[in-house]
Amino acid sequence: MTSDVRGHRAAPLSLRALATVATVLLAGPGVYLLIRNFTSDADPAGLLISDRTTGPLWRTLKLATLVSLSTAVLGTGLAWLTTRTDLPFRRTFRVLLTLPLVFPTFIGAAALVRTLNPGGLVNDLLSGVGVDRTPTVDGLSGSWLVLTLFTYPYVYLPVAARFARLPGSIEQSARLLGNSAASVFRRIILPQVAGSITAGTLLVYLYAISDFGAVSILRYDTLTRAIASNQLANRPVALALSLLLLILAAAVVLAERATRRRYSKVAVARSMTAAQVPLGRWKWPLTGVVAFVVLNALGAPLAALIDWSVRGLERGRRNGRGLTVDANEIAEVTWNTLRVSAITAVAAVLLVLPIAVLVGRYRSRIGGIGHAVAISTFALPGILIALAATFFISASDWTFDTFHNTMVILIFSYVVRFAALAMGTTLLAVQLVPQRVRDASQTLGASSGRRFISVELPLMLPGLLAAGGLVLLSTMKELPISLLLSPFEFETLATRIFSTFNESFVAEAGLMALALVVLSFVATWALIIRPTERSTARETESLRQR
Amino acid sequence: MKRSLPVALIIVALTVVACGSGASTIPNNLEGAAATIYAGDCMEDTGNEVTVYSGRSEDLVQPVLDAFECATGISTLTNFGDPTDLALALTEEGDRTPADVFLSKSPGAVGFLRNEGLLSPLSSEITRLVDGKNVAADDTWVGITGRQRVLVYNVDEVDAAELPSSVFELTDEKYRGRVGIPATNGSFQDWFTVFRAQEGDDVAIEWLEAMVANDAIKTESNRPTVDAVGRGEFDFGLVNHYYNFQEAEALGDAHRAKNHTFASDDIGSLVIVTAAGITSSSENVAAAEELISFMLSEEAQTFFTTDTLEYPLAAGVDPASVLPSLNDDGADFDVSFDTLGNGLQRTVEIIDESGING
Repeated sequence: MTSDVRGHRAAPLSLRALATVATVLLAGPGVYLLIRNFTSDADPAGLLISDRTTGPLWRTLKLATLVSLSTAVLGTGLAWLTTRTDLPFRRTFRVLLTLPLVFPTFIGAAALVRTLNPGGLVNDLLSGVGVDRTPTVDGLSGSWLVLTLFTYPYVYLPVAARFARLPGSIEQSARLLGNSAASVFRRIILPQVAGSITAGTLLVYLYAISDFGAVSILRYDTLTRAIASNQLANRPVALALSLLLLILAAAVVLAERATRRRYSKVAVARSMTAAQVPLGRWKWPLTGVVAFVVLNALGAPLAALIDWSVRGLERGRRNGRGLTVDANEIAEVTWNTLRVSAITAVAAVLLVLPIAVLVGRYRSRIGGIGHAVAISTFALPGILIALAATFFISASDWTFDTFHNTMVILIFSYVVRFAALAMGTTLLAVQLVPQRVRDASQTLGASSGRRFISVELPLMLPGLLAAGGLVLLSTMKELPISLLLSPFEFETLATRIFSTFNESFVAEAGLMALALVVLSFVATWALIIRPTERSTARETESLRQR
Repeated sequence: MKRSLPVALIIVALTVVACGSGASTIPNNLEGAAATIYAGDCMEDTGNEVTVYSGRSEDLVQPVLDAFECATGISTLTNFGDPTDLALALTEEGDRTPADVFLSKSPGAVGFLRNEGLLSPLSSEITRLVDGKNVAADDTWVGITGRQRVLVYNVDEVDAAELPSSVFELTDEKYRGRVGIPATNGSFQDWFTVFRAQEGDDVAIEWLEAMVANDAIKTESNRPTVDAVGRGEFDFGLVNHYYNFQEAEALGDAHRAKNHTFASDDIGSLVIVTAAGITSSSENVAAAEELISFMLSEEAQTFFTTDTLEYPLAAGVDPASVLPSLNDDGADFDVSFDTLGNGLQRTVEIIDESGING
């Protein structure tokens, strides 16, 4: 175990300055909402007692709570199975289990519904064996199911990363001392990953309250619907409801913080590679469970997307209307998506890094505030972040001429939207640098900046890549910010999928959604899976040599 | 080796910063759908440029914009998006907005912009091109194409005898739990606003509450409603005519739904217009008006009906043969869409209070 120096010394001024700047930038949407609420006739307090608000508010809370619980269990279970057991095909599962994250919910949920609901593809398959009508996925249960399937990766990814670095010796000794497997998991393993589980579950909660795409397709009425309905009809009500959403998010973030006993200490692997718990007779049933999750979360939407695409391509051949996209356009838009998302990923990690270092190593009020601001902002629908950016750059001629419709404002807004995703994993990466490494380099007289770049950064790299990877996957599917703030003539896969899908050009939308899945498959492997495996392999190798 | 990835990312970053977004250039002649709108050689680039905020999809509008560039030598820069989002962005940008022309899927968003004072009146050269009922009372926007409200139905589940001639019949017991209503959607809300103005609030509220009591299914928007009816998840949907044609075109026989049009004098068969306006801060009004006139030209209107299957509103163009003709001797609803901007707030309140949302 490493010794904790948090709170023992003050953070360097430069670090505090960087973290302050980052926090101010991230607070933009919240400040915008406050200003707009005060400058319009909005009455957030009055709304709280109106039936029109309490219904959607209650439904939002119910859904977010249910989805959080189910993703916490599912994400943790899947992470354990794919990292610490002898589950067959676990390397393949590790990539596949990340991918549901990439579906923009407006098309992901619609595709899933197209496959599973009555008259859908599964119904067609099962009609041969006498199933007349498959059950309808909708309402609270449907939204719960679909959001669980699309958001468990927020829990799965950090927990799997944590499991991969947890020494196997803990389990081995505990088992040798006669504890049952279940008791080892509950008493030894779970406390070690509890921090990652809560951080991931918090993201799920906030995502669930911000989602509009899935709940609207599934006909479940939440706050985001109430906001959308009032955007043009009654602007003050929309603004007040949005502020309510942010206050709700902040309350959840603070509540989570209050119940958490400081940031969990990180045990560093000292043993050989993590022990593989033999699943024994549970092996194949559990493989079935994991495969079933993949089948529903990934297979079901993909089936509809492929069906739409194939019918579209056939239509071209039987002289129907031609497709409105061609291979060149898809390639160009895919490239746009990749480069803008890659830059966003790097920028997001760089922006949250000073905050993460402050939180992870020092006792600092700025760090705590920055952390809470970044995380709470994740609950705001993207459109609000885009409008906030537009509001601020419209403050003066200079800012407008410099930033309007530029890559800078687009990427900046993505960063604000997804900083929360980068935060958790970056914080973990910061904490993973052992104190003795920092002490040693300090003793050798390296300056703090050089020390950080040459000694600590390489150690953090796998964690930072995973943080960036999460941001990358989310940016690739982001819609409202991309639609509103992209430079003229700059389109991403998500914006083209939206504009085609919304007008029922389902074949075009299907083809581009498939391009998005392929792109995220490659990105997941390159940024999240491979670096983690390589760094674990390197550590194992160095331990063996010792 | 282990440094290659960050280095690669930095190179990508620099590449992007280096390539700014270039304005579109006008080609020598057109290809594809745009060529059906304008066949001649393209004019030389005049250096003039119109900026468009388009709440209508690129797939529906871009060929017309391409043809306009070619025919006039005026280039266009377009930001495509959701009409509501674009309208809100325009309010935040205020006078600084680069937008000259605003295109909307339905009258709600242009009505909102008019109320915010962000649209300027169009010249009579443009407004005289369409019927007066499709123009804002203060000439701030003009209809470009029409989308008729229809009842989409599943052909396997619904008997022809069951098809109603009026939207009022849908409150009957035999339609219990079978009708999808996209109550959150802009085009339904716009239709309901006209319904209120035409029949009075009492009648409109009574109808909606009766629909809710009859277990109508709240859906999100037109496309998912048509999709669900096509699969037989439920039997009917109150939607715009346009989506079923596109869905059938895309899926062929697998799509099991058809449109049913209510009687021509029934409020249920109202034609909702897509609309265009010019921003009050536009410094390029002449070119902006030229673009809107072009969209109302015979060639563009023909494209809109043959390719995007909407109803033409100008230049005497007939609807495409696959579209049911709009019955001319049906009642003209003497309510212009003009009421929409103001009426929307009350419409959303009524819809919320009806309990259809949940």
